[in-house]
Amino acid sequence: MTSRRKRNLLLAGKWAGYFVLLLLAATLQTTPGFLVLGEIRPVFILPLCLAVAVCEGEYPGAFFGAVGGLLWDFTSGRPGGLLALELLFVCFGAAILVELYLRLNSMNFVLVSGVCALLVTGVDFLFFYAMPGYAGAAGRYFEVVLPIAVFTAALSPLSLWAARWVHRRFALPE
Amino acid sequence: MRDFFNTKKFKILLAVAVVLAGMMAWAGANGRLTNAPQELMGALLTPFQKAAQLLGGGVDGLLDKYVRIDQIIAENEQLQQENQELRDQLVDYDQLAAENKAFRDLLNIREENPEFQYASAFVISRDPLDRFGGFTIDQGTLNGVEKGDVVVSDKGYLVGRVLEADLNSSKVMTILQPGSYVACLVSRTRDSGNLNGSADYAADGMCVLENLPRDTLAMVGDEIITTGLGGEFPANIRVGTILELLPEDSGTSTIAVVEPGADINKLTHVFIVTDDSAGE
Repeated sequence: MTSRRKRNLLLAGKWAGYFVLLLLAATLQTTPGFLVLGEIRPVFILPLCLAVAVCEGEYPGAFFGAVGGLLWDFTSGRPGGLLALELLFVCFGAAILVELYLRLNSMNFVLVSGVCALLVTGVDFLFFYAMPGYAGAAGRYFEVVLPIAVFTAALSPLSLWAARWVHRRFALPE
Repeated sequence: MRDFFNTKKFKILLAVAVVLAGMMAWAGANGRLTNAPQELMGALLTPFQKAAQLLGGGVDGLLDKYVRIDQIIAENEQLQQENQELRDQLVDYDQLAAENKAFRDLLNIREENPEFQYASAFVISRDPLDRFGGFTIDQGTLNGVEKGDVVVSDKGYLVGRVLEADLNSSKVMTILQPGSYVACLVSRTRDSGNLNGSADYAADGMCVLENLPRDTLAMVGDEIITTGLGGEFPANIRVGTILELLPEDSGTSTIAVVEPGADINKLTHVFIVTDDSAGE
């Protein structure tokens, strides 16, 4: 039987591991020149939050999404709370979707990440590019926003692999 | 389904969402981007970003290099030729030499504006969502950086200003951002206008000088400098050169497309003017 102390240690280790992964994802996402393809760079925070959500369930995943979103708000210079709110709902929805309708494998996760990336970057584009009325908004959507979502989805299995590794490494014994 | 919405966990989730919405409203109402929890996470993140910035130098734009391979081969041949000519003049470069160069640049721009106080800063972060060249530097309020401080390149060209200063990092809004008005003039003709970012040109690293007189004598290649009007930017900071002159849609003025002297989308090192009032 697992002692209470050991159980708490494992839980603390797991969430500390997720948080370190989150800091790494934020660092990779914002490192100047890292994985730049023209103007396109992938997002790492979103797939990691989704991966944690599908591994841990809708509520812990949603809270982790909110924390990841706050960090993303900070690094992107968006008003504090906007991306946090988006990630909270997106992670909650994704976790429920995977729990009820999808088998968790890399292909399905790529699909979920792609749709979520499209949602989040689309909302950002709407608020910070289309609504201010900048010229060539439609062109920018197809040239920048869509490729970012595709690039993000393509690299998302890395996040799933990392989150699964932490999840298994700190799994509570039966 | 009703049970699901009545669970304690779901109510907590809603409460968190309300708190986040409140934080967003607070940030908007106070003209700030960040709040205490984010600043704490930012302080934790900055050392990671600094380390990545140091490591990233070697793999900078790796994929981009493969995409532009033809152009790079041509550039490579040209550089090899230049390298041959420069080989006799150049000493070995290492990290110390790079720092030396940065300080030499600082000395040069200090000679141009001896009344300014500068702080050296490295670019540690660029977010994929930023479409106007904004970035984060590794100097914050602990280093004397304040909101509104002017940021220049290591050659002394205007880059932008500090949008928000945190403890150990600061966010910079560049002159490519629409709405970042800077009072400028054409150095040769003394025609004045407003330098502004443009969504049309930001991706190419260019901005526009609006409201030039319709009959301006400015020409392609003319130098643009700041006027100091408005007090936010000191006078006589170089901005860049005119690339193209276009009539404004209504025909009442001329717009100059300006190529900044600093390659804003690829900057790795900048100087912050922490005090432009010394000697006043």
